[in-house]
Amino acid sequence: MKIETEHHDGTSDATPGGYEGQRRPGELIFGAVMFLGSLFLVFSAWGIENTFGPNGLSSPRAIPLATTIVMAIAAGVILFKDARLPRVTGETVMKDILPVNVIILAVMLVAYGVALKPIGFLPTSAVFLIIAIKLLARRGWGWTLLVSLGSLILIWIVFRIVFTVLIPAGIVPEAEVIQMFRSLFQGAP
Amino acid sequence: MDAVLAFLTVFTQPELLLLVGLGTFAGVYVGAIPGLSVTMAVSILISFTFSWDVYPAISLMIGIYMGGVYGGSRTAILLNIPGAPSAIATALDGYPLAKRGEAGTAIGVTTVMSFIGGFIGIGVLAVAAPFVSDFALKFQPRDYMLLAVLGILLVGSLSSGSLIKGIFAGALGIAIGAVGRDPLTFTERFTFDLPLMQGGISFIAVMIGMFGVSEALMQLHHVNKDAVRQKISRIVPSLSTVKKHLPLSLQTSTIGVVIGALPGTGGDIAALMAYDHAKRVTKNPERPFGDGAMEGLVAPETANNSAVGGAFIPMMTLGIPGDAVTAIMIGALFIHGLNPGPMLMVDQPDMFWFIVGALVMANVFMLIFGLTGIKLFTKIVEMPRAVLIPLIMLLSIVGAYAVNNSLSDVYWMLGFGFFGYFMRHYGYPLGPVILGVILSRLLDDNWRRAIISEREDLGRFFGGIFSSPLSTVLLIAVILIFVSQTPLWTRAKAHILKPRNQGVQG
Repeated sequence: MKIETEHHDGTSDATPGGYEGQRRPGELIFGAVMFLGSLFLVFSAWGIENTFGPNGLSSPRAIPLATTIVMAIAAGVILFKDARLPRVTGETVMKDILPVNVIILAVMLVAYGVALKPIGFLPTSAVFLIIAIKLLARRGWGWTLLVSLGSLILIWIVFRIVFTVLIPAGIVPEAEVIQMFRSLFQGAP
Repeated sequence: MDAVLAFLTVFTQPELLLLVGLGTFAGVYVGAIPGLSVTMAVSILISFTFSWDVYPAISLMIGIYMGGVYGGSRTAILLNIPGAPSAIATALDGYPLAKRGEAGTAIGVTTVMSFIGGFIGIGVLAVAAPFVSDFALKFQPRDYMLLAVLGILLVGSLSSGSLIKGIFAGALGIAIGAVGRDPLTFTERFTFDLPLMQGGISFIAVMIGMFGVSEALMQLHHVNKDAVRQKISRIVPSLSTVKKHLPLSLQTSTIGVVIGALPGTGGDIAALMAYDHAKRVTKNPERPFGDGAMEGLVAPETANNSAVGGAFIPMMTLGIPGDAVTAIMIGALFIHGLNPGPMLMVDQPDMFWFIVGALVMANVFMLIFGLTGIKLFTKIVEMPRAVLIPLIMLLSIVGAYAVNNSLSDVYWMLGFGFFGYFMRHYGYPLGPVILGVILSRLLDDNWRRAIISEREDLGRFFGGIFSSPLSTVLLIAVILIFVSQTPLWTRAKAHILKPRNQGVQG
């Protein structure tokens, strides 16, 4: 069965990305990293020692060793096959695999993760959303601020108050603010 | 009697009914908006609902699942962008119909067909699951092990990617699932002596990374694609149209249930197979396939919704997920202290009948929301990706953090997100990874039980397999999947199918 759709962008397991019979830029490097990584995991799995008995077929080593060996063999076959394929013409790593936008957003995500706990959810998210939306939508500051802060408030209300999820408050006195509103609505005792 | 009461739980408790409705409504939009997927939504939701009771949490997820599988068709028809993986085949004939100005008819037929397919799937689930679970009580540990392997392999072999990449992804998932202290002997595995690794990697972090962040990063490639507006006319299809396509819809629903029930494979694969089937059996379509054939809509849409019910069969009876979403739901049940498998059906049949009831309700809601609210719909779907992508990323991070209140989960999530991004680019399927992570423990435990009971003797182990018909069938299935990918098989198949195909496809 072969149904050719234009959606070779990896959104589904039914039509994963990549091209058949061609190699995308960077695919060989990825394959090589997978192969070497698998070999390292085989080595690591081999080092799993059973504290209670021999390292036989029922030891904690068995399945990890078997799966990592399967990984290494599969990665080796993939690498070997890929190496013999012609490269896709007209694609470059910078344009089709890792465009500037993706790199910037990836760095921002890591920065967000680092800042989340010390600074807190609201300020970190506000900065993240404003920069990201400004960068991607390229619209005026008024629109950007309205959309990003508006959706942030909505998310905060839904998750902090409806789902009661604990999100790091950081430098914002969230609990006090919520308490203030509660007492405001409940009125005098 | 208890079963009937449990089945009716969702109808009698307004709160649950509301949650199913809300979930279905949200699901239609999650499915419809390109860049939001059901797997993504459900994996993020786990982290937000884990403090809830199990019934409300499951109600919400089931609604999203049912609605989402359907919702993808909307944007596939209107914009030629499948909103969800399961709607890829729908775009092939749906968009040409919309271009002719028949978007309304297309959406109407799709909705009704999804409803029919959904019910057939649920019906099969309700009838078959109790039998399967009775049968499953006789399963030996080795059978579970073989089933797990089969599930991981099936995703790779039925999709259009390469099996070897699927095998790699599945093995990687099992390895990820093995990280941490071995539950039986407390031995450290893949921890590299880091305290961080001893507790293992949270599977929710892996899921949110792979289906949330990597998808969002992927969507950055399409950030500037504009939405095309379509005029939508009458939606509710005429009875004669529905009647005309009923025979085909029954066939494709069957395909959907079977593919859904196979461990590992879900609606996306079912839809493509059903489309292929419709192409083969429809002798005289009103319009050629790919040019707006109604059959090309009916087939994938019935199949992907009937696959929902199908996917619950192995999940509820064996604890082996039918597709990526049920894999995540198994995770949700784990979190709520339930252990899906044959014993769940014995100990807590209420849970099963409750899920069936919730599915029925979600299916009805889907029909209602599908045939109404089209104006609101066109507005929401036009939400620009430039806003959507940062929001998904935000939710992914908060979701990963919320499960254990730990930042290391966030880093794992991001790591797997970036990794998944490259896997998507280079054609490695992600479903097997999640399946591997979820099934890792089951595979490991059952292998060890099986081999210990055979006194660690491989000869006796295989002797045991061949003495049981079930184990033999499973082993043969596993072997067949491997053989089917070798050049030998392809040549043999081409040789056998050649004369027949020429006549039909021509």
